[in-house]
Amino acid sequence: MSKIMAHMVSFFPDRDRSMAVAEGLVTGGASYLEIQFPFSDPSADGPAIQTACRSALEAGFTVDKGFRFVAEVKRRFDVPIFIMTYAGLIYARGVREFISAGCDAGALGFILPDLTFGYDEGVCEVAEDLRTNVMPVIVTSMSKNRLKLLEERHPGYVYVALRHGITGNPTELGAENLGFLDRLEPLGARVMAGFGISERAQVETLDPHVHAAIVGSALVRTVAEAADRTSDRSIRQSADEIRSLLTEQMTGLVGGS
Amino acid sequence: MPEVYNDYFGQFGGRYVAEVLRTPLDELQAAFVEAMDDSRFSAEFDEMSATFTGRPTPMVHAANSSRELGGAEVFIKLEGLANTGAHKINNAVGQILLAGRMGKTRIIAETGAGQHGVATAAVCAKLGFECTVYMGEVDIARQKPNVFWMELFGAEVRPVASGSRTLKDAVNEALRDWAASYGDTHYLLGSALGPSPYPDMVREFQSVVGRESESQIDRMIIKAGLDLAALVACVGGGSNAIGFFSPFLDRETPRLIGVEAGGTGTGPGQHAARMGGLGRAGIVHGYKSLFLLDADGQVQDTHSVSAGLDYPGIGPQLAALGLSGRVEFNRATDREALQALQFFARNEGLIFALESAHAGAEAIKLAPQLPKTGAIVVNMSGRGDKDLFITAKELDPERWKAFLLAEAGQIPQDRGDGGSRKSRGRRMM
Ligand SMILES: Cc1ncc(COP(=O)(O)O)c(C=O)c1O
Repeated sequence: MSKIMAHMVSFFPDRDRSMAVAEGLVTGGASYLEIQFPFSDPSADGPAIQTACRSALEAGFTVDKGFRFVAEVKRRFDVPIFIMTYAGLIYARGVREFISAGCDAGALGFILPDLTFGYDEGVCEVAEDLRTNVMPVIVTSMSKNRLKLLEERHPGYVYVALRHGITGNPTELGAENLGFLDRLEPLGARVMAGFGISERAQVETLDPHVHAAIVGSALVRTVAEAADRTSDRSIRQSADEIRSLLTEQMTGLVGGS
Repeated sequence: MPEVYNDYFGQFGGRYVAEVLRTPLDELQAAFVEAMDDSRFSAEFDEMSATFTGRPTPMVHAANSSRELGGAEVFIKLEGLANTGAHKINNAVGQILLAGRMGKTRIIAETGAGQHGVATAAVCAKLGFECTVYMGEVDIARQKPNVFWMELFGAEVRPVASGSRTLKDAVNEALRDWAASYGDTHYLLGSALGPSPYPDMVREFQSVVGRESESQIDRMIIKAGLDLAALVACVGGGSNAIGFFSPFLDRETPRLIGVEAGGTGTGPGQHAARMGGLGRAGIVHGYKSLFLLDADGQVQDTHSVSAGLDYPGIGPQLAALGLSGRVEFNRATDREALQALQFFARNEGLIFALESAHAGAEAIKLAPQLPKTGAIVVNMSGRGDKDLFITAKELDPERWKAFLLAEAGQIPQDRGDGGSRKSRGRRMM
């Protein structure tokens, strides 16, 4: 079975049903959860995740509630969790305070795509200090100089965006991006890769090149469709439907039976 | 000499973008710094300014207004007489010339009111670039005339349905496009904000307004024995203000006054004023500055009668200059802006853009407090023709409605889809 980091948006479609999302993903075999804290202006995300973030904010997400959500997921399902969010939310809370609240909630680390080397507001130092992980999001077009900066950080985990652009569009896997993944080997980091991964065949192709594949929009779309379809049913029935659909989808993606 | 490229202004500025956008921004920074040092580039810019933009734009002594206000003499920099009706075209010319140097063939831009989009589309038409303008659905609905002009210039206007469907969401959408397209595409950001080098670049391209004003001030104000007391400009993102103020930033005088949108009140969603305690430090759209945010850092809704000021963030350099005290900030309400519009129309034969009318409103308050030997200069960053559908609705609703109904009745059914548009899969109006 392949390792997958499954992405979800906390409080999408609402708090209770996003707990069902987490449960469905873990039951289906997700090795990691990437839990996104919704930001009003998610400029690196495509339509599926944008819409989910907007709904999550309308459903009452706050940063404090987000940490409590992470703590509950961790307690109930004991899965390694990365908190993903944008610089705006971290900066408003204060970098140290945000990172340390995430650690207290039980997160294994953080994915902060718009805090890159050189403009990271000190997150890497704080993470080192608090013995947690910041998982840099890198791209295959990254310059040699910037890859050097990455090496100097000795990150425990690295997130590779497999193509340019935003989340959600399809991605072709070929010599260029797979070769890039292989060249990261000397880093000694656990390399995960995503952007546009939605099918088992892609996960299989990635498998020999990564520690885990990352699946995001494809899962968020399932949640959105299921929530839409069950909008006239009780929250509980809707949650059941979402949970079982995600379990099924994840099982297929990891190659379980 | 102040630096052309600063990146940070005090604590504000920076480049908070995903790794994928680091490459195009690093390249843009290098190309910008190199171009600013190349006299051929400034010659090209000056040539376009003289023959296309319509520079220099005049400065006028608002003699009737000054008499009525009974204090300092008021002067108005008529930047709105530039081609396409606002200062926005200076930045569009600068960035598109730069994009050409970088070998880009396609331009993308965001627009709110549509002024930046119209300027961009016009320069693209003139210089032969493919042009895509992102615009929120809400703005498309309330700024139809500018959508019409952009499409006439051959630009594609892409509606943005995400978020609040206004300017801030158009910025997000343009960034998303650019993350996939930067190989052949330049993102032409329209105000002095965003990830570096935009705030520096936009200031440099808009500083032509300040340099021109300086020599006009010398001729019309200093030589006349008046004392230059203050420069006044409206502040949305801050491009007209920072350009107008730029030659004076390192001096102690005159007073530099930025005017923000006071809207209808000081509650969340009622205004777009980030200075004076209403904004919080945050990171949005790739830069650190003062924004209208909730306690978590989520961007709040804004309001202004002028679409061009209806944006939650202020350019980082102006935010820093506000904290240091070099630039003072005040607000004008929707009502005050509309009153200023009427005042200068009646007294001076000038139609201020609603954005610029906020600066006009400040001049009306300030002039009577200053001695008769003093002078203040207001930047009329745009002219108000574009606002006809808003001002007429506000100031003369009954007769305007009757006119619109009569006009609608004149459009034959079978021509309602706009027969004269070019093809290329363009959106229908
Ligand atoms: C005429 C005019 N003035 C001012 C602005 C506000 O922008 P800035 O603060 O960047 O000058 C706009 C924006 O659309 C505008 O059209």
